[in-house]
Amino acid sequence: MKEIVILSGKGGVGKSTITASLGSIFSEKYKIVIADTDVDTPNLALFFNAKERNSENIASCEKAFIDYNKCKGCMRCVRVCKFSAMASYKDKPIVILYSCEGCGACIVVCPENAISIKKVINGKVDISDIEEKNCVIVAGELNIGGSSSGHLVDIVKKKAREEADKTKADLILIDGPPGIGCPVISSIKGSDYVIAVTEPTPAALHDLKRLYKVVGYFRIPIAIVINKSDIASSEKIKEFAKKNDIIILAEIPYDRKVSEAVAMAMPVVKAYPNSEVSINIKKLSERLNIFEFEKEQN
Amino acid sequence: MVNTFDKHLIEVIHQKSIKIPIIAVTGGKGGVGKSTVAVNIADAIVQMGYKVALVDADVDAPNDHILLDIPLENSIEVINTLPLINYGRCTKCRKCVDICRRNALFQPENSFPILIGECNGCEACILICPSDAIDRGKRILGKVYMSKRDGLTLFTGEIVPGAEESAFVVNALKNRVFEEANDLDIIIVDTSPGTHCNVINAVRAVDIAFAVTEPTPLGIHDLKLILKLLKKLQIESKIVLNRSDLPGPKGQINFIAKAYDSNIIVDIPMDDELLKSYIIGIPVVRMYPKALSSIKFFNMAKEIVERFLQ
Repeated sequence: MKEIVILSGKGGVGKSTITASLGSIFSEKYKIVIADTDVDTPNLALFFNAKERNSENIASCEKAFIDYNKCKGCMRCVRVCKFSAMASYKDKPIVILYSCEGCGACIVVCPENAISIKKVINGKVDISDIEEKNCVIVAGELNIGGSSSGHLVDIVKKKAREEADKTKADLILIDGPPGIGCPVISSIKGSDYVIAVTEPTPAALHDLKRLYKVVGYFRIPIAIVINKSDIASSEKIKEFAKKNDIIILAEIPYDRKVSEAVAMAMPVVKAYPNSEVSINIKKLSERLNIFEFEKEQN
Repeated sequence: MVNTFDKHLIEVIHQKSIKIPIIAVTGGKGGVGKSTVAVNIADAIVQMGYKVALVDADVDAPNDHILLDIPLENSIEVINTLPLINYGRCTKCRKCVDICRRNALFQPENSFPILIGECNGCEACILICPSDAIDRGKRILGKVYMSKRDGLTLFTGEIVPGAEESAFVVNALKNRVFEEANDLDIIIVDTSPGTHCNVINAVRAVDIAFAVTEPTPLGIHDLKLILKLLKKLQIESKIVLNRSDLPGPKGQINFIAKAYDSNIIVDIPMDDELLKSYIIGIPVVRMYPKALSSIKFFNMAKEIVERFLQ
């Protein structure tokens, strides 16, 4: 079983659009699991008519709690907190829960034993079936104002692997979050292959370069997909790819049909199979077949 | 269950250590045009004669300097602690290993502890060590920059690729802004996509937040999440509908807006001038001031100035 993660650095370049279409294509031939690790704003399920099978609350973060019967307001906890997660409010400290890392440094300095660390529910993981296909979607969703998105991503991936084991799936396709921070790093860890989606704008290239550095630390192979390839010149992306010996897997032109397909809650390859976008995504899926799955098929 | 956003917490979030108005540009979904909106209203307000601080708080993928074609200057490192064990003083008591909740320290039998895991620099080990045997080393998490050009001061936060502590860098960035922006007229904060801690740190102490979205189901889905967050934080929100001519269920936006006490204040259609200026790195309000998108940005800037600067 292989794990491919789709990332981009910059948001809105087309990660979910491409993941949904690849998922749709691969599920014709293989058993697959699609995981949505953009836990802040998970919207992969919007592309599919999926039926929820299970939804589970997740407590993947720990927070400090103050017992105000014991606290004498010495504020030592406020002074040692490296995460600015303790603030003095009138004569007592309060925990700014979304900033708290649950590290317990405050416990070490509290002379009154007034602080404890407790697990907190910070999100949920939904498992849905796409009925007509051999496909399961595992999606994480962070609670509003929740934290520890990286830990939630770890759990989404763990559940996706369990589903893949159960169904003897060939592939886990992971739709990652934008950026390069903790949820992205958790999405990359343990994956076999990274597809970096970009577009020919200076901002997207800048973010692609930063993503490339992060992926490099994990020594995972990476390839580029240029989306909206005709909105401007892709020259600079190609220069960067050549210089670093990165394969460009596909160039997918801009097409309003992509948005129209989303509006119909469908991957574009299903809604408009003959559009140029869909043809290029199909080509992309074929290229991925060649060097990823063959050896595990027999 | 403990209420995460009780009223004391809300008060702390609204505490403001600077007197000038602060505006956030956010939106939930990535790529909807947050930076484009932030850069253009900042430049439009500069053109009206005010001194503007633009704060690029998308520290994972900071792009405002690219959209403005401004080099990043005056860097300050964002540093966190890396524990360094002093083997001369360490008594192998194991207290540091036991206190570390991330299991970043490991101590083989009869040996000294070693840092093997992911340390977040919390310093619990340093605080608990009875023999003062752990020194504060440095780990660089990122940088914050300040670049000035005409009436615009661009503050940029940037996390080091491979580091995970985005929210930490956002905090350092905002602290620098609050120290250095006192003689400016207004602060505009451009946040990262999403709704988690680095976005919350970015919108702390703001007077109003503009939620940028597009009329696609994805944009609408994520708009709802960010409006929910802003309402919880009791931050006034207004919606900027970008790419307003894209196909999608636009009616839903008004419905969601109402549910979260917000409303659409401007819609910006896609125009070629906007895309061209984006790629060249000059705000459309400067490059094509007569473009439809520019007119919308100027109107928005005027409303901001009227409300907050007059």
